Amino acid sequence: MDLLRIEGVSKHFGGLNAVDDCSFTVEEGSLTGLIGPNGAGKSTVFNLISGLYEPESGSIKLDGEELAGRSPDEIAALGVGRTFQTPRSFFTLSCLENLLASIPSRGEHLMSSILGTYRAEEEAATARAKDYLDLVGLGARSDISADELSGGELRMLEVARQLMRNPKILLLDEPTAGVTPTLQVRLAQTLRELHAQGLTVVVVEHNLGFLLDLVERVVVMVSGRVLTDGDPDAIRSDPEVISAYLGRRDGDAA
Amino acid sequence: MNWGQLAITVVTLVSILGVVTLVLNMQYGHAGMINFGVVAYFAAGAYTYVLLTQPPPSETSLDQYVIGLDLPGWAGFVGAAIAGLVFAAITGWPTLRLRGEYLALTTFAFAEVFHSFIVNEQRFANGTRGLVGVPRPYREELSFIDYDIALAVASLLFLIIVYVIFERMVRSPYGRALEALRDDELALVTSGKRSRRFRLEIFLFTAPFAAMAGAFYVWYTTLAIPDLFTSEVTFVVWIALVLGGEGSNRGALIGITMVILFEELIRAIPFDTIRAAQIAASLEVAALGLLLIVFLRWQPFASLTRAPKRVARS
Repeated sequence: MDLLRIEGVSKHFGGLNAVDDCSFTVEEGSLTGLIGPNGAGKSTVFNLISGLYEPESGSIKLDGEELAGRSPDEIAALGVGRTFQTPRSFFTLSCLENLLASIPSRGEHLMSSILGTYRAEEEAATARAKDYLDLVGLGARSDISADELSGGELRMLEVARQLMRNPKILLLDEPTAGVTPTLQVRLAQTLRELHAQGLTVVVVEHNLGFLLDLVERVVVMVSGRVLTDGDPDAIRSDPEVISAYLGRRDGDAA
Repeated sequence: MNWGQLAITVVTLVSILGVVTLVLNMQYGHAGMINFGVVAYFAAGAYTYVLLTQPPPSETSLDQYVIGLDLPGWAGFVGAAIAGLVFAAITGWPTLRLRGEYLALTTFAFAEVFHSFIVNEQRFANGTRGLVGVPRPYREELSFIDYDIALAVASLLFLIIVYVIFERMVRSPYGRALEALRDDELALVTSGKRSRRFRLEIFLFTAPFAAMAGAFYVWYTTLAIPDLFTSEVTFVVWIALVLGGEGSNRGALIGITMVILFEELIRAIPFDTIRAAQIAASLEVAALGLLLIVFLRWQPFASLTRAPKRVARS
């Protein structure tokens, strides 16, 4: 079953067609890669799905629910989790608090916060948060404030923050950039585990070695459109994909 | 020098302005919203209290104000809180989309417009002349005790209540959400939270406390004149917050205590000539500025006022 269905979505910035009549689907429980040369529109697609940009045309459906035109917080609440190319976190909060601040809490209502009627819920959430921190390898860092983390750790924290929210789909924007090889292995392991548990994941990645080993299907974007899609082996040997990345030799047939 | 009187004055003023500092700390220190018009809540509360409780204007006097409802003191106090809420709604709603310095400028402008209204609209509260000798409520009920002491105790109690409420908020998931908003609004929004809700709510919830402090201020000074409600109040509160350490309620209180103590000690010095007193008044402002620079540079009491950590730590 298709969990995410993108149909004819376009977004222009001035004269640039960042995303141009783009369509693809993501199957529930799948681990999908989204690749393409710089400027192909991958991050824009993520921003369109998560509502940071509003599509000019087309539709984006998650589980049958139309996302286009909704606000980013509504979309997130509907089950879209995402990370950013430059990781974002609440840098003055501890790692543990970063996770707790990412889920709704009764204590975020004025009365409850003053009366203190959130304690039990908070304890349960804290236990869950610690599990997720362990999962991404930040278990020992839970009391450290986020601004003391390394770039790679920040990415892992962002992933953990989104996992904490139990999203239906997780969109990862270049999760290996700036991450040490050891952490990369850990990340791949974590993603496989989550995939095995049934989480749907879409990964934008320039590190093709990492990506093609990880995912089961790849969508290739070029100039704002989907060029092709298929399993990693087919993509690896697809001449169109190779030329999109490396450029065409003069005289090559289109 | 009358030390007893000085102590009562300091306690009263620290309590009244301490509440305003705490309000600013919630809005700026925790939620990151720069409010340069915090005096407006204070003034709105003070004037509303006066308009609700003063007698109607008499024909024979020189008073030009129109509204005087002659209500009891408590009604004026409640009215002050509502006025703070209304003012926060009027200024908070249109500025929801503004961030950083834009919000700072707009809140400053709102406060200046309000101040200008008080100064220029004679029918509101006698314009620049203002209202002098505003009667203090519950004088007879409190006749068993010195009124100044009663007022100091009452304002201190008010401060304690506000401090406890704000501190509970700060230590709860609510405070965490405010700090998350301050740190990275986009990260908060993409976690499924409505940042606008928190921005508006913290404005609306905290403003009435500053307005109630305004009513206390009228009881203390028995004055409602525009000169008492200039942007200087905003800046004194800001200096106090920066001195004490933004983001910490305890720090906010330490900051305002230092500022008030400093001001009142200088005022308590007996000067022989008016000229000397004038020079001292000018030097006081300069010294306060110098103090601010020294504190920003060396942070002498940083460890005292470090923001407390929430309970949710392992």
